[in-house]
Amino acid sequence: MKYLFWGALLTLVFVRYFSSKPTYLDGQRLRVEGVVRQEPSRFSYYQKISLAGLKIYLPKFPEIYYGDKIVVEGTVQKGKLESAVLVLKEDQKGLFSGFRKRVVGFFQRSLPEPHAALVAGISLGAKGSLPKDFWDNLTKTGTAHVVVASGMNVSLVASFLIGILVLFLNRKKALILALSGIWIYTLISGFEAPIIRAAVMGSIAFSAQELGRVYSAWRALVLTGLILLIIVPGWLTDLGFILTFVATASILVFQRKVEKFVSFVPQLLRGDFSTTLAAQIGVSPILFVTFGQFNILSPVINVLVLWTVPVITILGIVGGVAGLVIPVLGRAVLYLSYPLTTWFIAVVRLFG
Amino acid sequence: MKAFKYIFGLFVLILGLIGLSIGYTPDAKLHLIACDVGQGDGILAIYKDTQILIDGGPGDNILECLSKYVPFWDRDLELVVLTHPQLDHYGGLVEVFKRYNVDTFLATGLDSGASSYQALKNAVGGNGARVVNPKEGMVLRIGMIYLDILAPTQTLLSLEAPDSQTNVLGAYSSKKDPNDFSIVTILRLGEFEALLTGDIGPSEIPEILTGGKVRDLEYIKVPHHGSKNGLTHELLEASSPEIAIISVGKNSYGHPNQEILDMLKDKRVRVLRTDEEGDIEIVSDGLSFWTD
Repeated sequence: MKYLFWGALLTLVFVRYFSSKPTYLDGQRLRVEGVVRQEPSRFSYYQKISLAGLKIYLPKFPEIYYGDKIVVEGTVQKGKLESAVLVLKEDQKGLFSGFRKRVVGFFQRSLPEPHAALVAGISLGAKGSLPKDFWDNLTKTGTAHVVVASGMNVSLVASFLIGILVLFLNRKKALILALSGIWIYTLISGFEAPIIRAAVMGSIAFSAQELGRVYSAWRALVLTGLILLIIVPGWLTDLGFILTFVATASILVFQRKVEKFVSFVPQLLRGDFSTTLAAQIGVSPILFVTFGQFNILSPVINVLVLWTVPVITILGIVGGVAGLVIPVLGRAVLYLSYPLTTWFIAVVRLFG
Repeated sequence: MKAFKYIFGLFVLILGLIGLSIGYTPDAKLHLIACDVGQGDGILAIYKDTQILIDGGPGDNILECLSKYVPFWDRDLELVVLTHPQLDHYGGLVEVFKRYNVDTFLATGLDSGASSYQALKNAVGGNGARVVNPKEGMVLRIGMIYLDILAPTQTLLSLEAPDSQTNVLGAYSSKKDPNDFSIVTILRLGEFEALLTGDIGPSEIPEILTGGKVRDLEYIKVPHHGSKNGLTHELLEASSPEIAIISVGKNSYGHPNQEILDMLKDKRVRVLRTDEEGDIEIVSDGLSFWTD
């Protein structure tokens, strides 16, 4: 009965996946219309947009942002839309994406580059403003995943928040507060699909862990993952989805063990360090293959920088939101992340 | 008790911040940096907490140059100069105006039809910087640094833009090459004089030289990325610089031109190129200067 249930669920995932894939013919003229659901990557002279399963390269201006509604015409050529022309661009007036844009703007007015872009990338997944050569360094060192709105950060931050809050509150209250934090974060970061699904997975898995046993947490996570895939089959090949799932699973399974293992790390950093390291165990093979060039040292580099990610995320969100109300206060909070981003950038440049 | 470790962590971050701030302690010297912006111009002049940016390169590389040399808490640029409205000089300025508070923007009234120039105008409008259109004879003082404006010359302006509005962007258009409208300035601190030339070329240089201001300088930014349509014998003769900077990147125009390189070599001028050296920083105390 149990196997039948899981088997049926899996079958449903695959059926949904193959029946919903869009196909294009090479040479086909297309007019693509849609809302940009991934932050465009900006290069010196052009920007790259993913829309309706196609890669589209457009001139740098006018700049297109996450949440803009665009109409583009061009010819399909191997998954790319060649000689693409922007026909129309409407800024989305949506409450949340406008908010996100303002927060990123505040980062950019408060911190120099690439610090501002790194904070924006880590805390909001807005990798659009990253300088090209710094992005190259990130891919070369296998650390580019931290600035992609993959949702993996949510798993790290959730675990980190629970870790802090249990110092002051009982487990149940800590959990509720941490999860509220995660959902507020989801709103601020633009209510983006990868963040929402990460929040869903994290909420269910960490609740199950805090309230039950590791085994039930595992089962809850897998069930959530499968149900999400039935709803949106395209996520099966979405790297961010896979990373989030694997990171959350790894934290559930390995964190407590890793914590004992890294007793040499100063107590100050141990919780954070063990969380990020546990996530690494599952995630690094995937990063190793997918994020650009192979780098033998990539796991080591990730260990060196990943512990800063939850802290930068929290400082970035708190500083960014505070900054929209009281700029001086927001700036003061953001400055606290500056030593961490300096460390991150120095490590990435050293190995990049 | 365990909560103590997070408070301790906060102190560590503050200490780190203070440590990083000390690295930026300003000295009482002029730092003139030709930023490596690729094929384009972007020059940063710093004296204590005063910063002047002349052009912004084609893309966002200029932001990295600013972060490298300007302390992270200083978000004010006292003066930004755009020598002329071409993308390899203003492309990066769009982001600069979005991110920094600019007091004064010095740019010619010459318009450009490019959509990216509209983006620049919008960014300048949003920034609230005061726009000043320069003309020959103007002298600007920013902190201890002086800027003598040599071009656009009175002759050129009275010919091309006789009754246009002043102190706005895009007041007039012209059929002439935008390069001819380049702002040419001498940036000076004490005895140290640097000639910054934008993309000025042979057709305007004689008129500039009749002004008589160009004589015996220390530093020249070779016009137009070392193009043949840039530096002339007359200009080199009059300025007799000790050091020449060529701001150039990978390009299909053949910049810098061999004739220009030979011309500089014959005069025994020390040549530094941004495509070979990266950022080129010259330091001066107002008496002598040296490379850093």
